[in-house]
Amino acid sequence: MRADRIAALVMKGALALFIAVWVMVAVIVGAGAWRFVSANGLVGPLVSSRWSPLAAHYGILAFVVGSMAVTGLALVLAAPGVLALSVTGARILRGAPQRAFIQILTLFVAVPSVVYGWWGLSVAVPLIRRLTGTAGFGPLSAGIVLAVMIVPTFSIMALQTLRQVPSSLVEGSLGLGASEDQTLWHVILPASRAGLSQGFLVAVGRALGETIAVQMVIGGQSRVLSLLKPGATLTTQLLTDLALMPARTPGHDALDFMALWLMILMAVLVWLQSRVRGMSRG
Amino acid sequence: MAPDIEVDSLDVWYGQARALKEVTLHLGPGKVLALIGPSGCGKSTFLRVLNRMIDRAPQVRVKGAVRVGAFEVLAGDVDVTALRRTVGMVFQQPNPFPMTIFDNVAYGPRIAGLRQMAKLRQTVEDSLKKAALWDEVRGKLRRSAMSLSGGQQQRLCIARALAVNPQVLLLDEPTASLDPVSTAKIEELIVQFKTHYTMVIVTHNLQQAARVSDAVAFFEHGRLVEMGPTHDIFTAPRERRTEEFLTGRV
Repeated sequence: MRADRIAALVMKGALALFIAVWVMVAVIVGAGAWRFVSANGLVGPLVSSRWSPLAAHYGILAFVVGSMAVTGLALVLAAPGVLALSVTGARILRGAPQRAFIQILTLFVAVPSVVYGWWGLSVAVPLIRRLTGTAGFGPLSAGIVLAVMIVPTFSIMALQTLRQVPSSLVEGSLGLGASEDQTLWHVILPASRAGLSQGFLVAVGRALGETIAVQMVIGGQSRVLSLLKPGATLTTQLLTDLALMPARTPGHDALDFMALWLMILMAVLVWLQSRVRGMSRG
Repeated sequence: MAPDIEVDSLDVWYGQARALKEVTLHLGPGKVLALIGPSGCGKSTFLRVLNRMIDRAPQVRVKGAVRVGAFEVLAGDVDVTALRRTVGMVFQQPNPFPMTIFDNVAYGPRIAGLRQMAKLRQTVEDSLKKAALWDEVRGKLRRSAMSLSGGQQQRLCIARALAVNPQVLLLDEPTASLDPVSTAKIEELIVQFKTHYTMVIVTHNLQQAARVSDAVAFFEHGRLVEMGPTHDIFTAPRERRTEEFLTGRV
Protein backbone atom coordinates (compact mmCIF):
# COMPACT_ATOMS: atom_id res chain seq x y z
CA MET A 1 0.00 0.00 0.00
CA ARG A 2 2.74 2.34 0.97
CA ALA A 3 4.70 1.66 -2.19
CA ASP A 4 1.54 2.44 -4.16
CA ARG A 5 1.18 5.77 -2.44
CA ILE A 6 4.80 6.66 -3.09
CA ALA A 7 4.49 5.65 -6.73
CA ALA A 8 1.35 7.75 -7.09
CA LEU A 9 3.10 10.69 -5.47
CA VAL A 10 6.07 10.40 -7.84
CA MET A 11 3.74 10.23 -10.85
CA LYS A 12 1.74 13.23 -9.71
CA GLY A 13 4.92 15.15 -8.98
CA ALA A 14 6.30 14.40 -12.42
CA LEU A 15 3.04 15.48 -14.01
CA ALA A 16 2.99 18.71 -12.00
CA LEU A 17 6.58 19.44 -12.97
CA PHE A 18 5.80 18.78 -16.61
CA ILE A 19 2.80 21.10 -16.54
CA ALA A 20 4.81 23.76 -14.71
CA VAL A 21 7.60 23.67 -17.29
CA TRP A 22 5.10 23.82 -20.13
CA VAL A 23 3.26 26.77 -18.57
CA MET A 24 6.54 28.54 -17.93
CA VAL A 25 7.62 28.20 -21.57
CA ALA A 26 4.21 29.33 -22.76
CA VAL A 27 4.24 32.33 -20.40
CA ILE A 28 7.79 33.40 -21.28
CA VAL A 29 7.34 33.00 -25.01
CA GLY A 30 3.81 34.35 -24.86
CA ALA A 31 4.84 37.45 -22.90
CA GLY A 32 7.66 38.23 -25.32
CA ALA A 33 5.39 37.65 -28.30
CA TRP A 34 2.74 39.87 -26.70
CA ARG A 35 5.22 42.71 -26.24
CA PHE A 36 6.35 42.23 -29.83
CA VAL A 37 2.82 42.31 -31.25
CA SER A 38 1.95 45.38 -29.12
CA ALA A 39 4.95 47.22 -30.53
CA ASN A 40 4.95 45.99 -34.16
CA GLY A 41 1.46 44.76 -34.87
CA LEU A 42 0.51 41.24 -35.90
CA VAL A 43 0.44 41.43 -39.68
CA GLY A 44 3.30 43.77 -40.50
CA PRO A 45 6.16 41.47 -39.47
CA LEU A 46 4.51 38.53 -41.22
CA VAL A 47 4.50 40.24 -44.61
CA SER A 48 7.91 41.91 -44.42
CA SER A 49 11.13 40.12 -45.18
CA ARG A 50 13.48 42.74 -43.83
CA TRP A 51 15.13 41.22 -40.78
CA SER A 52 17.53 43.68 -39.24
CA PRO A 53 17.02 43.74 -35.48
CA LEU A 54 19.63 46.41 -34.87
CA ALA A 55 17.71 48.77 -37.16
CA ALA A 56 14.42 47.64 -35.57
CA HIS A 57 13.17 45.84 -38.68
CA TYR A 58 11.59 42.55 -37.73
CA GLY A 59 10.14 41.07 -40.90
CA ILE A 60 9.96 37.27 -40.51
CA LEU A 61 8.39 36.46 -43.88
CA ALA A 62 11.66 35.04 -45.18
CA PHE A 63 11.86 32.58 -42.29
CA VAL A 64 8.24 31.47 -42.53
CA VAL A 65 8.58 30.94 -46.27
CA GLY A 66 11.95 29.27 -45.70
CA SER A 67 10.50 26.83 -43.18
CA MET A 68 7.60 25.94 -45.43
CA ALA A 69 9.76 25.64 -48.53
CA VAL A 70 12.37 23.44 -46.89
CA THR A 71 9.66 21.24 -45.37
CA GLY A 72 7.71 20.99 -48.61
CA LEU A 73 10.83 20.24 -50.61
CA ALA A 74 11.86 17.55 -48.14
CA LEU A 75 8.45 15.86 -48.36
CA VAL A 76 8.42 15.91 -52.16
CA LEU A 77 11.94 14.51 -52.33
CA ALA A 78 11.24 11.92 -49.63
CA ALA A 79 7.92 10.64 -50.99
CA PRO A 80 9.24 8.27 -53.70
CA GLY A 81 11.81 6.83 -51.29
CA VAL A 82 9.21 6.36 -48.58
CA LEU A 83 6.85 4.63 -50.97
CA ALA A 84 9.57 2.35 -52.31
CA LEU A 85 11.04 1.45 -48.92
CA SER A 86 7.72 0.88 -47.17
CA VAL A 87 6.25 -1.21 -49.96
CA THR A 88 9.44 -3.25 -50.21
CA GLY A 89 9.59 -3.78 -46.46
CA ALA A 90 5.92 -4.49 -45.98
CA ARG A 91 4.78 -6.38 -49.04
CA ILE A 92 7.79 -7.78 -50.87
CA LEU A 93 10.33 -8.94 -48.29
CA ARG A 94 9.41 -11.76 -45.92
CA GLY A 95 10.94 -13.54 -42.97
CA ALA A 96 14.56 -12.81 -42.03
CA PRO A 97 15.31 -10.26 -44.80
CA GLN A 98 12.21 -8.33 -43.76
CA ARG A 99 13.27 -8.26 -40.10
CA ALA A 100 16.78 -7.12 -41.07
CA PHE A 101 15.35 -4.44 -43.35
CA ILE A 102 13.16 -3.04 -40.55
CA GLN A 103 16.06 -3.09 -38.10
CA ILE A 104 18.26 -1.13 -40.48
CA LEU A 105 15.51 1.44 -41.05
CA THR A 106 15.05 1.77 -37.28
CA LEU A 107 18.78 2.32 -36.95
CA PHE A 108 18.55 5.27 -39.35
CA VAL A 109 15.70 6.75 -37.28
CA ALA A 110 18.04 6.76 -34.30
CA VAL A 111 20.85 8.65 -36.05
CA PRO A 112 21.19 12.12 -34.42
CA SER A 113 20.29 15.02 -36.67
CA VAL A 114 23.74 16.57 -36.41
CA VAL A 115 25.05 13.52 -38.26
CA TYR A 116 22.55 14.10 -41.05
CA GLY A 117 23.75 17.72 -41.13
CA TRP A 118 27.32 16.46 -41.39
CA TRP A 119 26.32 14.26 -44.29
CA GLY A 120 24.72 17.31 -45.89
CA LEU A 121 27.91 19.31 -45.48
CA SER A 122 30.13 16.65 -46.93
CA VAL A 123 27.86 15.26 -49.65
CA ALA A 124 24.81 17.40 -50.48
CA VAL A 125 26.45 20.83 -50.41
CA PRO A 126 29.47 19.87 -52.59
CA LEU A 127 27.14 18.06 -54.98
CA ILE A 128 24.89 21.11 -55.41
CA ARG A 129 27.98 23.28 -55.72
CA ARG A 130 29.34 21.12 -58.52
CA LEU A 131 26.01 20.85 -60.32
CA THR A 132 24.99 24.50 -60.14
CA GLY A 133 28.16 26.49 -59.68
CA THR A 134 26.72 28.19 -56.59
CA ALA A 135 28.11 28.00 -53.08
CA GLY A 136 25.93 24.97 -52.43
CA PHE A 137 24.40 26.33 -49.24
CA GLY A 138 20.67 27.04 -49.35
CA PRO A 139 17.14 25.67 -49.04
CA LEU A 140 17.76 23.06 -51.74
CA SER A 141 20.58 21.46 -49.76
CA ALA A 142 18.51 21.78 -46.58
CA GLY A 143 15.56 20.11 -48.30
CA ILE A 144 17.78 17.24 -49.42
CA VAL A 145 19.20 16.75 -45.93
CA LEU A 146 15.73 16.82 -44.37
CA ALA A 147 14.42 14.41 -46.99
CA VAL A 148 17.16 11.92 -46.15
CA MET A 149 16.38 12.46 -42.48
CA ILE A 150 12.62 11.92 -42.62
CA VAL A 151 12.70 8.98 -45.03
CA PRO A 152 13.46 6.40 -42.29
CA THR A 153 10.88 7.76 -39.81
CA PHE A 154 8.13 8.10 -42.38
CA SER A 155 9.02 4.76 -44.01
CA ILE A 156 8.84 2.83 -40.74
CA MET A 157 5.42 4.24 -39.96
CA ALA A 158 4.17 3.63 -43.51
CA LEU A 159 5.63 0.14 -43.47
CA GLN A 160 3.87 -0.82 -40.24
CA THR A 161 0.59 0.48 -41.63
CA LEU A 162 0.95 -1.37 -44.92
CA ARG A 163 1.78 -4.58 -43.06
CA GLN A 164 -1.46 -4.36 -41.14
CA VAL A 165 -3.63 -4.51 -44.24
CA PRO A 166 -5.37 -7.87 -43.80
CA SER A 167 -4.33 -10.50 -46.31
CA SER A 168 -8.03 -11.24 -46.82
CA LEU A 169 -8.35 -7.88 -48.59
CA VAL A 170 -5.29 -8.58 -50.70
CA GLU A 171 -6.59 -12.01 -51.69
CA GLY A 172 -10.02 -10.55 -52.37
CA SER A 173 -8.42 -8.24 -54.90
CA LEU A 174 -6.10 -10.83 -56.44
CA GLY A 175 -9.05 -13.23 -56.65
CA LEU A 176 -10.84 -10.79 -58.95
CA GLY A 177 -7.96 -10.87 -61.40
CA ALA A 178 -6.12 -7.80 -60.13
CA SER A 179 -2.35 -7.75 -60.47
CA GLU A 180 -0.09 -7.17 -57.47
CA ASP A 181 0.42 -3.57 -58.59
CA GLN A 182 -3.28 -2.92 -59.04
CA THR A 183 -3.88 -4.42 -55.61
CA LEU A 184 -1.25 -2.12 -54.13
CA TRP A 185 -2.70 1.05 -55.66
CA HIS A 186 -6.39 0.27 -55.38
CA VAL A 187 -6.67 -1.70 -52.14
CA ILE A 188 -3.55 -1.67 -49.96
CA LEU A 189 -2.72 2.05 -50.14
CA PRO A 190 -6.34 3.27 -49.78
CA ALA A 191 -6.87 0.91 -46.85
CA SER A 192 -3.74 2.36 -45.22
CA ARG A 193 -4.82 5.96 -45.67
CA ALA A 194 -5.25 6.77 -41.97
CA GLY A 195 -1.85 5.37 -41.00
CA LEU A 196 -0.09 6.96 -43.95
CA SER A 197 -1.55 10.39 -43.13
CA GLN A 198 -0.30 10.01 -39.59
CA GLY A 199 3.19 9.14 -40.76
CA PHE A 200 3.01 12.12 -43.10
CA LEU A 201 2.16 14.48 -40.24
CA VAL A 202 4.97 13.12 -38.08
CA ALA A 203 7.35 13.67 -41.00
CA VAL A 204 6.08 17.23 -41.47
CA GLY A 205 6.58 17.84 -37.75
CA ARG A 206 10.09 16.49 -37.82
CA ALA A 207 11.05 18.54 -40.88
CA LEU A 208 9.45 21.73 -39.61
CA GLY A 209 11.05 21.47 -36.20
CA GLU A 210 14.49 20.34 -37.30
CA THR A 211 17.14 22.95 -36.56
CA ILE A 212 20.74 21.87 -36.42
CA ALA A 213 20.87 19.74 -39.56
CA VAL A 214 19.23 22.55 -41.51
CA GLN A 215 21.43 25.23 -40.03
CA MET A 216 24.54 23.33 -41.13
CA VAL A 217 23.65 23.56 -44.83
CA ILE A 218 21.18 26.41 -45.39
CA GLY A 219 23.65 29.30 -45.21
CA GLY A 220 21.87 31.53 -42.73
CA GLN A 221 20.71 34.66 -44.51
CA SER A 222 17.37 36.41 -44.42
CA ARG A 223 16.22 36.12 -48.00
CA VAL A 224 12.83 35.30 -49.40
CA LEU A 225 13.19 32.05 -51.19
CA SER A 226 15.88 31.34 -53.61
CA LEU A 227 16.54 27.62 -53.55
CA LEU A 228 20.21 27.97 -54.39
CA LYS A 229 21.17 31.01 -52.34
CA PRO A 230 21.73 30.99 -48.59
CA GLY A 231 18.49 31.32 -46.65
CA ALA A 232 17.07 30.64 -43.20
CA THR A 233 14.08 29.09 -41.48
CA LEU A 234 12.21 29.94 -38.29
CA THR A 235 14.20 27.38 -36.34
CA THR A 236 17.63 28.22 -37.69
CA GLN A 237 17.09 31.94 -37.14
CA LEU A 238 16.03 31.24 -33.56
CA LEU A 239 19.17 29.22 -33.07
CA THR A 240 21.56 31.81 -34.45
CA ASP A 241 19.97 34.95 -32.99
CA LEU A 242 19.00 33.71 -29.55
CA ALA A 243 22.52 34.14 -28.24
CA LEU A 244 22.90 37.57 -29.84
CA MET A 245 19.86 39.22 -28.33
CA PRO A 246 19.52 39.49 -24.58
CA ALA A 247 16.15 38.78 -22.99
CA ARG A 248 13.62 41.64 -22.81
CA THR A 249 15.15 43.43 -25.79
CA PRO A 250 12.84 44.05 -28.79
CA GLY A 251 14.91 41.66 -30.89
CA HIS A 252 14.46 38.91 -28.33
CA ASP A 253 10.74 39.57 -28.29
CA ALA A 254 10.72 39.06 -32.05
CA LEU A 255 12.30 35.63 -31.53
CA ASP A 256 9.59 34.83 -28.97
CA PHE A 257 7.05 35.76 -31.64
CA MET A 258 8.68 33.33 -34.05
CA ALA A 259 8.85 30.60 -31.42
CA LEU A 260 5.16 31.07 -30.72
CA TRP A 261 4.38 30.60 -34.41
CA LEU A 262 6.39 27.38 -34.44
CA MET A 263 4.51 26.13 -31.40
CA ILE A 264 1.18 27.00 -32.97
CA LEU A 265 2.11 25.21 -36.21
CA MET A 266 3.17 22.14 -34.24
CA ALA A 267 0.00 22.23 -32.15
CA VAL A 268 -2.06 22.28 -35.34
CA LEU A 269 -0.12 19.25 -36.58
CA VAL A 270 -0.71 17.34 -33.35
CA TRP A 271 -4.38 18.21 -33.52
CA LEU A 272 -4.59 17.01 -37.13
CA GLN A 273 -2.85 13.81 -36.11
CA SER A 274 -5.36 13.08 -33.36
CA ARG A 275 -8.17 13.66 -35.85
CA VAL A 276 -6.67 11.26 -38.37
CA ARG A 277 -6.19 8.62 -35.72
CA GLY A 278 -9.87 8.88 -34.86
CA MET A 279 -10.97 8.19 -38.40
CA SER A 280 -11.81 4.63 -39.32
CA ARG A 281 -10.39 2.85 -42.30
CA GLY A 282 -11.85 3.77 -45.66
CA MET B 1 -21.00 -22.12 -70.61
CA ALA B 2 -19.74 -23.52 -67.33
CA PRO B 3 -16.50 -25.51 -67.70
CA ASP B 4 -15.57 -28.87 -66.23
CA ILE B 5 -12.67 -29.38 -63.84
CA GLU B 6 -10.14 -32.16 -64.19
CA VAL B 7 -7.42 -32.82 -61.64
CA ASP B 8 -4.74 -35.44 -62.19
CA SER B 9 -2.21 -36.62 -59.56
CA LEU B 10 -2.10 -33.30 -57.74
CA ASP B 11 0.62 -32.99 -55.08
CA VAL B 12 1.19 -29.93 -52.88
CA TRP B 13 4.01 -29.37 -50.41
CA TYR B 14 4.44 -26.52 -47.97
CA GLY B 15 8.19 -26.70 -47.39
CA GLN B 16 8.68 -30.30 -46.21
CA ALA B 17 5.05 -30.83 -45.27
CA ARG B 18 2.95 -32.57 -47.87
CA ALA B 19 -0.53 -31.06 -47.96
CA LEU B 20 -2.05 -32.97 -50.87
CA LYS B 21 -1.17 -36.45 -52.10
CA GLU B 22 -1.97 -37.58 -55.62
CA VAL B 23 -5.45 -36.13 -55.80
CA THR B 24 -7.30 -37.10 -58.95
CA LEU B 25 -10.89 -36.16 -59.68
CA HIS B 26 -13.25 -34.91 -62.35
CA LEU B 27 -16.18 -32.52 -61.92
CA GLY B 28 -18.71 -32.07 -64.72
CA PRO B 29 -19.75 -28.64 -66.04
CA GLY B 30 -22.26 -26.73 -63.92
CA LYS B 31 -21.99 -29.16 -61.02
CA VAL B 32 -21.51 -28.34 -57.34
CA LEU B 33 -18.76 -30.24 -55.53
CA ALA B 34 -18.62 -30.12 -51.74
CA LEU B 35 -15.26 -30.77 -50.09
CA ILE B 36 -15.55 -32.25 -46.62
CA GLY B 37 -13.08 -33.63 -44.12
CA PRO B 38 -11.41 -32.82 -40.83
CA SER B 39 -9.53 -29.53 -40.38
CA GLY B 40 -6.11 -29.51 -42.02
CA CYS B 41 -6.99 -32.30 -44.45
CA GLY B 42 -6.16 -30.23 -47.51
CA LYS B 43 -9.61 -29.00 -48.59
CA SER B 44 -8.69 -25.33 -48.65
CA THR B 45 -5.33 -26.11 -50.23
CA PHE B 46 -7.14 -27.94 -53.01
CA LEU B 47 -9.51 -25.01 -53.51
CA ARG B 48 -6.67 -22.50 -53.64
CA VAL B 49 -4.87 -24.49 -56.33
CA LEU B 50 -7.83 -24.04 -58.68
CA ASN B 51 -7.31 -20.26 -58.98
CA ARG B 52 -3.59 -20.32 -58.19
CA MET B 53 -4.16 -18.41 -54.93
CA ILE B 54 -1.85 -21.13 -53.60
CA ASP B 55 1.05 -19.20 -55.19
CA ARG B 56 0.94 -16.79 -52.24
CA ALA B 57 1.95 -19.43 -49.71
CA PRO B 58 5.66 -19.31 -48.86
CA GLN B 59 7.78 -22.25 -50.02
CA VAL B 60 4.92 -23.94 -51.78
CA ARG B 61 5.45 -26.61 -54.45
CA VAL B 62 2.66 -27.89 -56.67
CA LYS B 63 2.88 -30.92 -58.99
CA GLY B 64 0.39 -32.62 -61.24
CA ALA B 65 -2.11 -31.44 -63.82
CA VAL B 66 -5.18 -29.30 -63.26
CA ARG B 67 -7.50 -28.22 -66.04
CA VAL B 68 -10.42 -25.83 -65.62
CA GLY B 69 -12.23 -25.61 -68.95
CA ALA B 70 -9.60 -24.41 -71.39
CA PHE B 71 -7.14 -23.35 -68.68
CA GLU B 72 -4.15 -25.54 -67.93
CA VAL B 73 -4.03 -24.10 -64.41
CA LEU B 74 -0.51 -25.22 -63.46
CA ALA B 75 1.12 -24.45 -66.80
CA GLY B 76 3.94 -21.93 -66.50
CA ASP B 77 2.50 -19.70 -69.20
CA VAL B 78 -1.09 -19.61 -67.96
CA ASP B 79 -2.56 -16.10 -67.67
CA VAL B 80 -3.20 -16.08 -63.92
CA THR B 81 -5.20 -12.84 -64.17
CA ALA B 82 -7.54 -14.29 -66.79
CA LEU B 83 -7.76 -17.53 -64.80
CA ARG B 84 -8.80 -15.67 -61.66
CA ARG B 85 -11.43 -13.71 -63.54
CA THR B 86 -12.84 -16.99 -64.80
CA VAL B 87 -12.53 -18.75 -61.45
CA GLY B 88 -14.08 -16.47 -58.82
CA MET B 89 -13.53 -16.94 -55.10
CA VAL B 90 -15.57 -16.26 -51.98
CA PHE B 91 -13.80 -16.45 -48.65
CA GLN B 92 -14.61 -17.73 -45.18
CA GLN B 93 -14.76 -14.25 -43.63
CA PRO B 94 -16.64 -11.67 -45.68
CA ASN B 95 -13.87 -9.41 -46.97
CA PRO B 96 -15.44 -6.36 -48.60
CA PHE B 97 -12.97 -3.60 -49.44
CA PRO B 98 -13.15 -0.51 -47.22
CA MET B 99 -14.99 1.47 -49.87
CA THR B 100 -18.57 2.02 -50.99
CA ILE B 101 -20.94 -0.80 -51.91
CA PHE B 102 -20.86 0.36 -55.52
CA ASP B 103 -17.06 0.52 -55.68
CA ASN B 104 -16.78 -2.96 -54.20
CA VAL B 105 -18.85 -4.51 -56.97
CA ALA B 106 -17.33 -2.27 -59.65
CA TYR B 107 -13.79 -3.15 -58.51
CA GLY B 108 -13.28 -6.19 -60.75
CA PRO B 109 -14.71 -4.65 -63.95
CA ARG B 110 -12.72 -1.45 -63.37
CA ILE B 111 -9.52 -3.41 -62.81
CA ALA B 112 -10.24 -5.16 -66.11
CA GLY B 113 -10.48 -1.77 -67.83
CA LEU B 114 -14.22 -0.97 -67.89
CA ARG B 115 -14.61 2.81 -67.56
CA GLN B 116 -18.04 3.67 -68.97
CA MET B 117 -20.24 4.65 -66.06
CA ALA B 118 -23.48 3.43 -67.66
CA LYS B 119 -22.05 -0.04 -68.20
CA LEU B 120 -20.52 -0.11 -64.74
CA ARG B 121 -23.86 0.81 -63.19
CA GLN B 122 -25.61 -1.91 -65.16
CA THR B 123 -23.00 -4.50 -64.16
CA VAL B 124 -23.24 -3.52 -60.50
CA GLU B 125 -27.02 -3.70 -60.52
CA ASP B 126 -27.08 -7.04 -62.32
CA SER B 127 -24.49 -8.54 -59.99
CA LEU B 128 -26.28 -7.33 -56.86
CA LYS B 129 -29.54 -8.75 -58.20
CA LYS B 130 -27.93 -12.13 -58.88
CA ALA B 131 -26.57 -12.14 -55.34
CA ALA B 132 -30.06 -11.27 -53.99
CA LEU B 133 -28.77 -8.11 -52.34
CA TRP B 134 -30.19 -5.47 -54.68
CA ASP B 135 -33.46 -4.96 -52.80
CA GLU B 136 -31.59 -4.34 -49.56
CA VAL B 137 -28.99 -1.88 -50.89
CA ARG B 138 -30.66 -0.01 -53.78
CA GLY B 139 -30.40 3.70 -53.10
CA LYS B 140 -27.58 3.04 -50.62
CA LEU B 141 -24.84 2.18 -53.08
CA ARG B 142 -22.75 5.14 -51.94
CA ARG B 143 -22.64 3.87 -48.37
CA SER B 144 -19.61 2.08 -47.02
CA ALA B 145 -19.67 -1.67 -47.46
CA MET B 146 -18.67 -1.86 -43.80
CA SER B 147 -22.13 -0.62 -42.83
CA LEU B 148 -23.68 -3.89 -44.00
CA SER B 149 -24.36 -6.88 -41.76
CA GLY B 150 -22.09 -9.94 -41.98
CA GLY B 151 -24.55 -11.86 -44.14
CA GLN B 152 -25.05 -8.88 -46.45
CA GLN B 153 -21.29 -8.42 -46.67
CA GLN B 154 -20.89 -12.02 -47.78
CA ARG B 155 -23.56 -11.60 -50.47
CA LEU B 156 -21.77 -8.40 -51.51
CA CYS B 157 -18.59 -10.44 -51.90
CA ILE B 158 -20.53 -12.90 -54.04
CA ALA B 159 -21.87 -10.02 -56.15
CA ARG B 160 -18.33 -8.68 -56.44
CA ALA B 161 -17.13 -12.05 -57.70
CA LEU B 162 -20.03 -12.32 -60.18
CA ALA B 163 -19.33 -8.85 -61.60
CA VAL B 164 -16.33 -10.12 -63.58
CA ASN B 165 -18.41 -12.83 -65.25
CA PRO B 166 -16.76 -15.91 -63.82
CA GLN B 167 -17.61 -19.42 -64.95
CA VAL B 168 -16.45 -21.16 -61.82
CA LEU B 169 -17.01 -20.18 -58.18
CA LEU B 170 -14.81 -21.35 -55.34
CA LEU B 171 -16.43 -20.99 -51.93
CA ASP B 172 -14.21 -21.47 -48.88
CA GLU B 173 -16.56 -22.12 -45.97
CA PRO B 174 -18.70 -19.18 -47.11
CA THR B 175 -21.18 -19.45 -44.24
CA ALA B 176 -18.81 -20.34 -41.40
CA SER B 177 -19.13 -16.89 -39.83
CA LEU B 178 -22.83 -16.33 -40.53
CA ASP B 179 -26.07 -16.79 -38.60
CA PRO B 180 -28.60 -19.44 -39.76
CA VAL B 181 -30.80 -17.00 -41.70
CA SER B 182 -27.86 -15.55 -43.62
CA THR B 183 -26.55 -19.07 -44.16
CA ALA B 184 -29.88 -20.15 -45.66
CA LYS B 185 -29.78 -17.19 -48.08
CA ILE B 186 -26.29 -18.10 -49.28
CA GLU B 187 -27.26 -21.75 -49.71
CA GLU B 188 -30.28 -20.65 -51.73
CA LEU B 189 -27.99 -18.70 -54.01
CA ILE B 190 -25.71 -21.69 -54.52
CA VAL B 191 -28.68 -23.82 -55.53
CA GLN B 192 -29.89 -21.09 -57.93
CA PHE B 193 -26.43 -20.76 -59.47
CA LYS B 194 -26.29 -24.46 -60.40
CA THR B 195 -25.77 -25.13 -64.11
CA HIS B 196 -24.74 -21.46 -64.62
CA TYR B 197 -21.49 -21.88 -62.71
CA THR B 198 -19.35 -24.85 -61.83
CA MET B 199 -18.85 -24.58 -58.06
CA VAL B 200 -16.52 -26.03 -55.47
CA ILE B 201 -17.45 -25.41 -51.85
CA VAL B 202 -15.45 -26.24 -48.74
CA THR B 203 -17.72 -26.83 -45.79
CA HIS B 204 -17.61 -28.22 -42.28
CA ASN B 205 -21.38 -28.39 -42.27
CA LEU B 206 -22.36 -31.84 -43.56
CA GLN B 207 -26.04 -30.91 -43.81
CA GLN B 208 -24.99 -28.01 -45.99
CA ALA B 209 -23.00 -30.33 -48.23
CA ALA B 210 -26.05 -32.59 -48.48
CA ARG B 211 -28.38 -29.67 -49.26
CA VAL B 212 -26.41 -27.87 -51.96
CA SER B 213 -24.00 -30.23 -53.67
CA ASP B 214 -24.23 -32.68 -56.56
CA ALA B 215 -21.04 -34.46 -55.59
CA VAL B 216 -19.03 -34.81 -52.39
CA ALA B 217 -15.29 -35.36 -52.00
CA PHE B 218 -14.01 -36.57 -48.63
CA PHE B 219 -10.42 -35.58 -47.85
CA GLU B 220 -8.25 -36.90 -45.04
CA HIS B 221 -4.53 -36.26 -44.38
CA GLY B 222 -4.13 -34.72 -47.83
CA ARG B 223 -5.63 -37.68 -49.65
CA LEU B 224 -8.90 -37.82 -51.52
CA VAL B 225 -10.46 -40.79 -49.74
CA GLU B 226 -13.62 -40.93 -51.75
CA MET B 227 -15.66 -38.90 -54.20
CA GLY B 228 -19.13 -39.64 -55.50
CA PRO B 229 -22.65 -38.35 -56.04
CA THR B 230 -23.89 -36.62 -52.88
CA HIS B 231 -26.75 -39.05 -52.33
CA ASP B 232 -24.46 -42.07 -52.58
CA ILE B 233 -21.82 -40.65 -50.25
CA PHE B 234 -24.35 -39.87 -47.53
CA THR B 235 -26.35 -43.09 -47.81
CA ALA B 236 -23.84 -45.68 -48.92
CA PRO B 237 -20.19 -44.60 -48.73
CA ARG B 238 -17.76 -47.11 -50.21
CA GLU B 239 -14.92 -46.35 -47.80
CA ARG B 240 -14.99 -47.17 -44.10
CA ARG B 241 -13.18 -43.89 -43.25
CA THR B 242 -15.89 -41.88 -45.00
CA GLU B 243 -18.60 -43.62 -43.06
CA GLU B 244 -16.78 -43.08 -39.78
CA PHE B 245 -16.36 -39.40 -40.52
CA LEU B 246 -20.00 -38.94 -41.54
CA THR B 247 -21.22 -40.66 -38.40
CA GLY B 248 -18.94 -38.69 -36.15
CA ARG B 249 -16.49 -41.45 -35.31
CA VAL B 250 -13.33 -39.52 -36.12
